[in-house]
Amino acid sequence: MSLLVGNGLTHWFGRELALEGVDLVIDTGEHMAVLGDNGAGKTTLLRILATVLRPTSGQLEIAGLNAFRERRRLRHHVGYVAHATGLYPALTAAENLEFFCDLQDVSRTRVEEALDAVGLTRVARRRAGELSRGMQQRLSIARAILHEPRLLILDEPDASLGDDAAELLTQVMKDKTVVLATHDHALANRLCPRTLVLRHGRSHGTATRLRVVR
Amino acid sequence: MNPFRVALAVARKDIRSEWRTREMVPALAQFIVLALLIGNFGFQIDARNAPAIAPGILWLALVFAGLVAFGRTFAAEREQASLEAMLMTPASPVAIFAGKAIAASLLLVICEAVLLPALTLFFGTPFTGDVVAAVLLATVGMAALGVMFAAIVARVRARELLLPLLTLPLWIPFIIAGGQAVQSAMGLPGNYQEAIGLLIDFDILFVVLTSLAARFVLEE
Amino acid sequence: MNRYERWAAAAAALMLVAGAAIFLYAPTDYLQGPVQRIFYLHVSSAIAAYGCFAVVLVGGIIYLRTENVVADRFARAGALVGVVFTTVTLVMGMLWAKPIWGSFWTWDARLTSTLVLWIIYAGYLLVRRLSDPGRQAARLAAVVGIFGFIDVPVVHFSVTWWRTQHPGPIIVNDALPAQMLTTFFLTMACTLVLAAVMVWVRYRIETLTDERQHIAEAVPVVAAREPEPVP
Repeated sequence: MSLLVGNGLTHWFGRELALEGVDLVIDTGEHMAVLGDNGAGKTTLLRILATVLRPTSGQLEIAGLNAFRERRRLRHHVGYVAHATGLYPALTAAENLEFFCDLQDVSRTRVEEALDAVGLTRVARRRAGELSRGMQQRLSIARAILHEPRLLILDEPDASLGDDAAELLTQVMKDKTVVLATHDHALANRLCPRTLVLRHGRSHGTATRLRVVR
Repeated sequence: MNPFRVALAVARKDIRSEWRTREMVPALAQFIVLALLIGNFGFQIDARNAPAIAPGILWLALVFAGLVAFGRTFAAEREQASLEAMLMTPASPVAIFAGKAIAASLLLVICEAVLLPALTLFFGTPFTGDVVAAVLLATVGMAALGVMFAAIVARVRARELLLPLLTLPLWIPFIIAGGQAVQSAMGLPGNYQEAIGLLIDFDILFVVLTSLAARFVLEE
Repeated sequence: MNRYERWAAAAAALMLVAGAAIFLYAPTDYLQGPVQRIFYLHVSSAIAAYGCFAVVLVGGIIYLRTENVVADRFARAGALVGVVFTTVTLVMGMLWAKPIWGSFWTWDARLTSTLVLWIIYAGYLLVRRLSDPGRQAARLAAVVGIFGFIDVPVVHFSVTWWRTQHPGPIIVNDALPAQMLTTFFLTMACTLVLAAVMVWVRYRIETLTDERQHIAEAVPVVAAREPEPVP
């Protein structure tokens, strides 16, 4: 069964065409990697799939719901790790997660579980701003899985994770449908059976078309 | 999902961040003292004209401190991409907006806690419950509007420039009514009751309107 | 000459007719002298400006409800034209005030709220200019436009409550001679036509600008293939 169906996803930033007519179908439990150079439209595509950004045109259905009209209902199902960590530097790791538990309306007991899942239990009481970039990345992953979403959208999560990135991500991605953007082809091959390549066109690097490769 | 719980969580988060970093409060307090100092030089204040000029200086200082404070409320979220993370949750935008507004108005109340005693200290104006009430009532509506425009300009270039341009015209009614209230509370002619009534009306009007607008302003 | 130019020319011609009425037909005011002639265009452009801002308000509300891009383009057009007419109103008002009141400006309700109106919609135009074109810009601007429209009566009321000295609206009054009244209504009609034509032309410009955002030729580049082997 397909969890996510996108049709003709196109996005313009002013006069820049960032994404052009992307079609994709992702089945429940499937892991798909999105590869492409900088400016290929990876982040734009992921933001659209995470329902953070509405595309200029195109349709997107997630779990049978219209992703743009029923956005609010969908959010229980989607977890998104953005490029920027979006943490509050003055709050501790645990406080950051507690805050999002309140917003997600899930029990605060999830905080410990999530911290454990990304291996940050040790630094739970330290301020997010004092953590290394890699730890912040982990914390942001922990935040994305707080509400145990069915669909996980990861935008280059390996960027600063370090050597054990693959193991951590394997753990986190287990039993979830995942879309993962990365530069690292080896990692993509290892974690995701399916890959989608985004290529930017011409010298502006704005036009892109992509097809899904089985 | 309880919107009050969300609003409180957001407000608590902002206040806690400010308490830990103490980025804004000392700067704002100093800003206010400086505003009084400049007011003193600008107006050649002495014992005779102080009561007439002090209310004006109060509002000028408060308005500009408010602009600085509100400008920061969303700028910080924006830099950290955390606003997006909040909006990714099922929490209602109105609740998130209310939380930000509560935190921002607390910041403004702290400014007032410095401003009013300082005014009494430097200009010898009376420091009474009536003055405090007028200023607090104006704070409610000013915070609602200020935070809304801060959210708008956070998504626009040159935001520092645009915030005062958009916010000040909408603060005018509060400054007129608040100014009257404070003047009469400080012993100048003016109708205190009526001014307070107006402030309450404006508060209700703009709190309702900004809540309606919150969804459009916050979401992508 | 395309139809936009023809309409523009017609509107300009109408304004000349109005000008003729103001200077040749209308009698000179007994008390104020020739300066009173400013009144016709001053009040007319104020009304035209309010009409334009009503377009911004309605366009904004419709846009927030339906995301209809046409509504947004009308709002944009209305804001620009409205600011132009508000400027005319303010300048003419000041020219009138100097000889009659003895000063260019006074802080009464009508003057203050008109100035605030000008500032708010100039701010609206700035928001448009400083944000990337698209849904978000349109939505944020719609909110600014709506709040601006609501703010004006509120400011007006606050200042009236505070103090006022602007001459009341004694337009339809037995005391006003028929020729003056005729001139006034003629000028107002012509000015409204001018404003409507300006909004319409501006709407066309906004449409073309919008289209240009999207005509950048779609470049099909692309590639479906397996990930490259790691070197």
